[in-house]
Amino acid sequence: MNANDSTHAGMSSNLGMLCSEYNFQQLSELYNQGRVDYIVPMPMNAKRMSEYITAHDVSLTHSVVAIDKNDHQPNGMCMLGVRGERSWVTRLGVIPERRRRKSGEFLMNEALRLSGESGIRHVQLEVIRGNDPAQTLFEKLGFKVIRDLVVIRRPPTPLQAGQMSSHVRQYANIEDNQEILRLLNTRDDAPTWIEETASLINGGGMRVITLTLDSGEEGWIAFQRTPFQLTHLVFNPQASPQMIRTLLRLLHELYPLQDTKVENLPENHPALPHFYAMGYVNAFERIEMVLTL
Amino acid sequence: MSRIVIIEDNPDVARLAEKLLRNAGHIVIVAPDGETGLTTTFEQMPDLVLMDLGLPDIEGQTVVGLLKQQESTSHIPVIAFTAWPQETAYSMAQAYGCDGVIVKPIDTRLFAKQVAEFLEARNER
Repeated sequence: MNANDSTHAGMSSNLGMLCSEYNFQQLSELYNQGRVDYIVPMPMNAKRMSEYITAHDVSLTHSVVAIDKNDHQPNGMCMLGVRGERSWVTRLGVIPERRRRKSGEFLMNEALRLSGESGIRHVQLEVIRGNDPAQTLFEKLGFKVIRDLVVIRRPPTPLQAGQMSSHVRQYANIEDNQEILRLLNTRDDAPTWIEETASLINGGGMRVITLTLDSGEEGWIAFQRTPFQLTHLVFNPQASPQMIRTLLRLLHELYPLQDTKVENLPENHPALPHFYAMGYVNAFERIEMVLTL
Repeated sequence: MSRIVIIEDNPDVARLAEKLLRNAGHIVIVAPDGETGLTTTFEQMPDLVLMDLGLPDIEGQTVVGLLKQQESTSHIPVIAFTAWPQETAYSMAQAYGCDGVIVKPIDTRLFAKQVAEFLEARNER
């Protein structure tokens, strides 16, 4: 057991217990309890929790459960992804009936303390737009807003005649992980944590379609394919608008029955109008925030 | 009397919805996650599906998309059953082809009537 009686949170009635002391089932249940009244509840079972931890380099020895000093029951949880000198706050939640004990602030202070002790200099997170109490807490701790993000989705819908791809000279599917990694390593965008190449490769199931247009322009789109869903879409750097449109059309021609979700696209991303033209709709919005320690 | 599948991971919400609909004379089957919900819907071919959009395995929208794409289930009304903000709930429900929305928390006085109205709309089609 590794319990820390933190003094960082002032009047907090919490003790910190590392998440490494819990199994995936317990962590998923605790997370679900803390998010039950969240703006967009995204519950997880043990399998999804395990996959999430692996994909996003969540360190369970940097992640904390807040235990109430009085009844020794969990009040909430905060996880921390760690990559080099950067960490990422995620899965933060406090059980509704156990709020007003400064548990959120306690958990965040623990996350920052553990980050600092590990030599981490840059902490990042996303908060759903409209979650004002959380955003206020993050700002109080010194986090700054850096950009607005959208989460967009497209239901499985066959393409209409006008949406079918054209100008395609040739295309090919790539499933070789080394080649996919090579292409992803050419990215010049600044993705959020869950869209970084490390997350995509860790998550597995990545594929790439390479495409040559009639004009001779070459490009590619990477995506993760699960049994029912396409997600984590990435275009090649400097793709022209026609390349983006054609890649999207081709993707949905090849996978007409897949639900598609694209997370954390910056609001000014050049591909966004092309997504909307293909029938994507906004699901919700996030705000990315950072703190330098 | 109608056959209704409730796909809902919160056991308290599922129990309450089940009880209210049973009291209204319906046959109710509860599925706690998306995979079970899909299997149950294909097996039972219900008159209506109440669909929580936030599920722990397969996302609710993905389940709706699958049901609406399959010829055998595309005719079954799917009602989004969600605590999401109304704007998000209606936008997602419309995009994914849901036949209506019931917003949580359940209003125990109105819930069975809300479901009955969706069943009547189905019968009139």
